[in-house]
Amino acid sequence: MTNFTRRKPSLRTAMLATVAAVATICALPAKAADEVTPERLLNADKEPGNWLHHHKDFSATRFSNLSEINKGNVKNLKVAWTMHLGGVEGGGIWTHGGLEGTPIVENGMMYVTDGWGSVYKIDTHGGKGTLLWKMDPKTDHDWAGAVACCGVDNRGVALWGNLVISHTLDGRLIATNKDNGQVAWQRQVADPNKGEVITGAPLIVKNMAITGVAGAEYGIRGWIAATDLASQKEVWRTHTIPGKGESGHETWKDDKNSAASGGGSTWVTGSYDPATNTLIWGIGNPGPDWDNEYRPGDNLYTDSSLALDADTGKIKWHYQHTPNDPYDYDSVAEHVLVDIPGPNGPRKLALEADRNGFAYAVDRTTGKFVWGLPFVKKVTWTKGLDAETGKPVEYDPNKPVQTYVAAVTPSRTNLETDFCPGNMGGKNWPPTAYNPDLKLWYIPVIESCNRIKVEVMTPEKLKPREFWTGGGPSQPVRITGSVTAIDVTTGKVAGKFETPFPNLGGVLATPDLVFSGQPSGEVMALDAKSLEKLWEFNTGGGVNAPPMTFSVDGKQYVAILVGLGGAWDKWFIDATPELKRMQPGSMLYVFSL
Amino acid sequence: MTRHNRPPAGAIVAFVIVATAAITASADAQSADPTDAGKAVFKRANCVGCHKWHGNGGGGYGGDALSLRKTELTREQIIETIGCGRPGTGMPFFTRGAYDSVKCYDMSREDVGGRIPPEANTFLRPSDVEAVADYVIAHIKGEREPSYSECVKFFGDTSRVCDIYKAQQQPTVSQTTNSGQSK
Repeated sequence: MTNFTRRKPSLRTAMLATVAAVATICALPAKAADEVTPERLLNADKEPGNWLHHHKDFSATRFSNLSEINKGNVKNLKVAWTMHLGGVEGGGIWTHGGLEGTPIVENGMMYVTDGWGSVYKIDTHGGKGTLLWKMDPKTDHDWAGAVACCGVDNRGVALWGNLVISHTLDGRLIATNKDNGQVAWQRQVADPNKGEVITGAPLIVKNMAITGVAGAEYGIRGWIAATDLASQKEVWRTHTIPGKGESGHETWKDDKNSAASGGGSTWVTGSYDPATNTLIWGIGNPGPDWDNEYRPGDNLYTDSSLALDADTGKIKWHYQHTPNDPYDYDSVAEHVLVDIPGPNGPRKLALEADRNGFAYAVDRTTGKFVWGLPFVKKVTWTKGLDAETGKPVEYDPNKPVQTYVAAVTPSRTNLETDFCPGNMGGKNWPPTAYNPDLKLWYIPVIESCNRIKVEVMTPEKLKPREFWTGGGPSQPVRITGSVTAIDVTTGKVAGKFETPFPNLGGVLATPDLVFSGQPSGEVMALDAKSLEKLWEFNTGGGVNAPPMTFSVDGKQYVAILVGLGGAWDKWFIDATPELKRMQPGSMLYVFSL
Repeated sequence: MTRHNRPPAGAIVAFVIVATAAITASADAQSADPTDAGKAVFKRANCVGCHKWHGNGGGGYGGDALSLRKTELTREQIIETIGCGRPGTGMPFFTRGAYDSVKCYDMSREDVGGRIPPEANTFLRPSDVEAVADYVIAHIKGEREPSYSECVKFFGDTSRVCDIYKAQQQPTVSQTTNSGQSK
């Protein structure tokens, strides 16, 4: 009896044996070649078939030199395969989630996220998509969804070593084993109890994950944080609103401690210049958004381009676009790092297309203004930029509260007013793309005006997890869009392809094409020079995410996530009534010839 | 005799289970809130999207959802506002046929014109509208600032959404102590 019992494997032993066998099988395909090293991330452009960074490369060009699909044959582009994803459920103040992510592809394996931060690994070999695993981080819907100003969003993952690095709306940084989809470790980086959430993709620099935060509509004090992926410990955290005694604190001139809840979010993935070991990151609006008299002063570093030492987080320079902003004109956009020939050798520029309707080039070594121009059809809040400084011409550094074109500017004496571009921009988070051969920079544009009703704020109105906006928008005017090309050598508009709806997804550039989408469902390819439309496919769902391209088995594909979420269908839909018809959805489309 | 009088162990267990179940059931019956159906409508019809779970609404991106805590509307007025929305604002109408077959504020679709409120994503039946109005009156109207226990009652305890109200309750005590010391 005893012997027999001993020989018979117990259930526990059997279970463990099965687990071990599965683990061995799963572990086998992991090859050293698939380890994502800092060197590979630095040289991402040497892997043309892969898309290793959120913005394709550290310079945030979103340019791929794959050219199997080109202007001669793009008319034959068709759906290769699709995949339904999840994450459409609501939570907090949101009735549903959407898709804003950029797929990452490495050696034929694709990693995408849905709005609640689930990560999907998809094998794209063989002309089809096979879901290998899904990591569901079990995001706390009500905790995070109640303080997400602008939707249930997640813009994607990054790769490091054998791990997939991602964020969740409820403030976590998660490392998932690439082979089996098991969570290796996670760390709470942002705190929804303070109104902080995370929607951006991480940026991996060396062995660090750089995280940005959202929440300027909820009275946060913004920051950028670096986590050492090896030790899982925080390396540095730099607040975007300087504390007492720090340079820039003097630009908050009130006696109400407005800097402590001054906003300055960092929710779009930044870029990195390895030559100078500098992170360049866009900083969001000050809070309260529309009552700038609450926070007299320039309010640094809100609405600024910020350069930081990647190892220490120390601020190297800043360039502020809209001082003492009364419009909600985030400068949170990505910065595209480009080198163009100049009279004294190459000019090293950082390009940013701002919510305020102006495109800027600044010297990325010094932060000095080089050129700026409006990229939208209508600007009413300023007469233009000063040619030397790039500041709005009405800007007066001696005035504590800026009024710009006072007749249209929200203020305590102008409590309800229309201005252009509206508070969504201009250009919002959807990313630009840059063609280095043509020196053309493509901006996904929201051609808009809207109306702001100001609410005068008092310190008693500041409550954790409640809106801290000083007013709200409404949409009396139809909003359209465009893809606008800027010639970076001249700083002039080179072309504009107008669209009936705002561009809520972003742009991809290839040698002779530009890809983009519409929230009414269309994905399209334009001629890179003339911006003439060469191909279009209606996905039947709202495009709210950027296209990307990759190759596998020697064949080029274009991929895009489709599912309208974000802020538009809750706060801005009246400006585009036809989009009320668009249904929530969650779908991956992949195209090939 | 004694042995016979003593009930078998199994019977004791059974009795305990039955008794516990009975007590639990009666506790449930006591705590069962007649306005729970209205709370479900409050969630399903997305009242929370603008008025928030606590009903305070507020400015910000959501526009100006009025505070249901501070509302002075009567039950009848709340019912009409839910059914017909508020002309000229973002408060939608939840009754099918409002301003057409159903009279709203004595106005037809023609009378209300461009100020017609948006149509809600979900239409509610009259019994649902009454239920949600009763929930608002019982649990939101006239209440002061939202509390931890109210929050947990709304969400249950699986989300961290209520943690800040707990945190707010504790520091109040220590702040009082501190200010006492500084004085």
